[in-house]
Amino acid sequence: MSKVIGDVILDVQNISLRFGGVKALTDISFNVKEHEIRSIIGPNGAGKSSMLNCINGVYTPSEGSITFRGQTFGHMNSRQVAEMGIARTFQNLALFKGMSVIDNIMSGRNLKIKSNIFMQALRIGPAQREEEEHREKVEHIIDFLEIQAFRKTPVGQLPYGLQKRVDLGRALAMEPQVLLLDEPMAGMNLEEKQDMSRFILDVNDEFGTTIVLIEHDMGVVMDISDRVVVLDYGKKIGDGTPDEVRNNEDVISAYLGTGH
Amino acid sequence: MAFFLETLFGGLMAGMLYSLVALGFVLIFKASGVFNFAQGAMVLVAALCMARFAEWIPAWTGLESKALANLMAFAVSVVFMFLLAWVIERLVLRHLVNQEGVTLLMATLGITYFIDGFGQTLFGSDIYKIDVGMPKDPVFILDSLFEGGVLISQEDVVAALVAAVLVAALSVFFQKTGTGRALRAVADDHQAAQSIGIPLNRIWVIVWCVAGITALVAGIIWGSKLGVQFSLTTVALRALPVIILGGLTSVPGAIIGGLIIGVGEKLSEVYLGPLVGGGIEIWFAYMLALVFLLFRPQGLFGEKIIDRV
Repeated sequence: MSKVIGDVILDVQNISLRFGGVKALTDISFNVKEHEIRSIIGPNGAGKSSMLNCINGVYTPSEGSITFRGQTFGHMNSRQVAEMGIARTFQNLALFKGMSVIDNIMSGRNLKIKSNIFMQALRIGPAQREEEEHREKVEHIIDFLEIQAFRKTPVGQLPYGLQKRVDLGRALAMEPQVLLLDEPMAGMNLEEKQDMSRFILDVNDEFGTTIVLIEHDMGVVMDISDRVVVLDYGKKIGDGTPDEVRNNEDVISAYLGTGH
Repeated sequence: MAFFLETLFGGLMAGMLYSLVALGFVLIFKASGVFNFAQGAMVLVAALCMARFAEWIPAWTGLESKALANLMAFAVSVVFMFLLAWVIERLVLRHLVNQEGVTLLMATLGITYFIDGFGQTLFGSDIYKIDVGMPKDPVFILDSLFEGGVLISQEDVVAALVAAVLVAALSVFFQKTGTGRALRAVADDHQAAQSIGIPLNRIWVIVWCVAGITALVAGIIWGSKLGVQFSLTTVALRALPVIILGGLTSVPGAIIGGLIIGVGEKLSEVYLGPLVGGGIEIWFAYMLALVFLLFRPQGLFGEKIIDRV
């Protein structure tokens, strides 16, 4: 697989995040380049999800800034981040449970819908054609994720592994430039993990989407990542290619513990 | 037989009106997961606004045409309900994103009392009339089939038609438009909805505004039957069993639920009432709702909730 890694698309500078007296993140800096798969790893409670939530605009960092395609932001809400072209999936599924698979993924097209509500309701003018175009994109994603059979099923009734796929599908429907994946393989068996890894690689490859990934499974991370950031207790302790990180003393001691 | 049909029609018509109020609850619940206690107060304040402006506009402008005055009062009331929705979003809901349902419920309880009081401060607290020119005279139909025919109220028929149109429009809105999908998405998960770029604040203003207009229509119809007065807020309580029956998330459910309750009340009063000494109408709906809660808590058309453990 030969892919072209581009320039820096997302640059995180000196981010600190405090909740009251608790320091969740301390002075974290790293960057993400176009088309790469960038993983954030670390033991439980290391601040991985907090980091992702800062990029996504759920949390506002106490200090530092984030630059996305040359635009720097400190205060952003999730919706504005979505408008800029950053999509995400959730660690503990946040799907629209009562809605069908199709509707869930269609809802990801929300920002792309141009016709107004009256045209949509009456199916006049460009609204009909637009709906069809969106539907086509969504069908493509459904084929891609191999969930054709569950189109009309309310997602609440699907098994966990498939719900994770729908979550990914909804994010893909936004046609994001950067996709943030928060533990996409948590709680999956080996086969499901392999499927999900394949989807992530394909998304990266076919759609050219830049991916920021949080994952616990070291095997998976080392296999599919281009570069890895390691966090521990809210601090960055390692950054580099999988091989560099694997041989980093600090990383080894964080994971295996040090002799005292 | 003719008497039975009369009772049945009466029940259906009353049911349609319950449905209208129930719709307001369903709309807001569907789109934000909030059980909006203030719906009854919104019905009252909308009706008050309509009634008073229909009086004031001719008085201020010397307008002769009653229909035109009513139309203008209606327009003013729509704007008023929109402003109310906007203020509620700005001052209350915006600060409660991602909070528990109970927190939001308590907030709407506060909104209820505010609207009750403030509405009456603005518009006065007497009994007012709304006269939108609905035909008042009852007519006999089906003369050929039954001796003496069946007596129905034209006013009720008009009201039912209005309600039916409103329901059809809302169903299309929810099921067929992108905005409708966004509304349902917001109801399921605020955080996820925001992450895919759905503007929570705008969605809330839209849905409260639509619920406000539904309240206005319900208020006008009830008001022209009973007069606009504080007791209109209790109509909302009559709508509670309707939504339990129909399901909190279903627009058609609100309608069918309303019809069942309306018909059930009237028939039970007429046919069972004498056996137990009457007064069934008052509690029948609540009993029915209780039975439904035991056997089908999600209502007739509600989404069944399956929790993975």
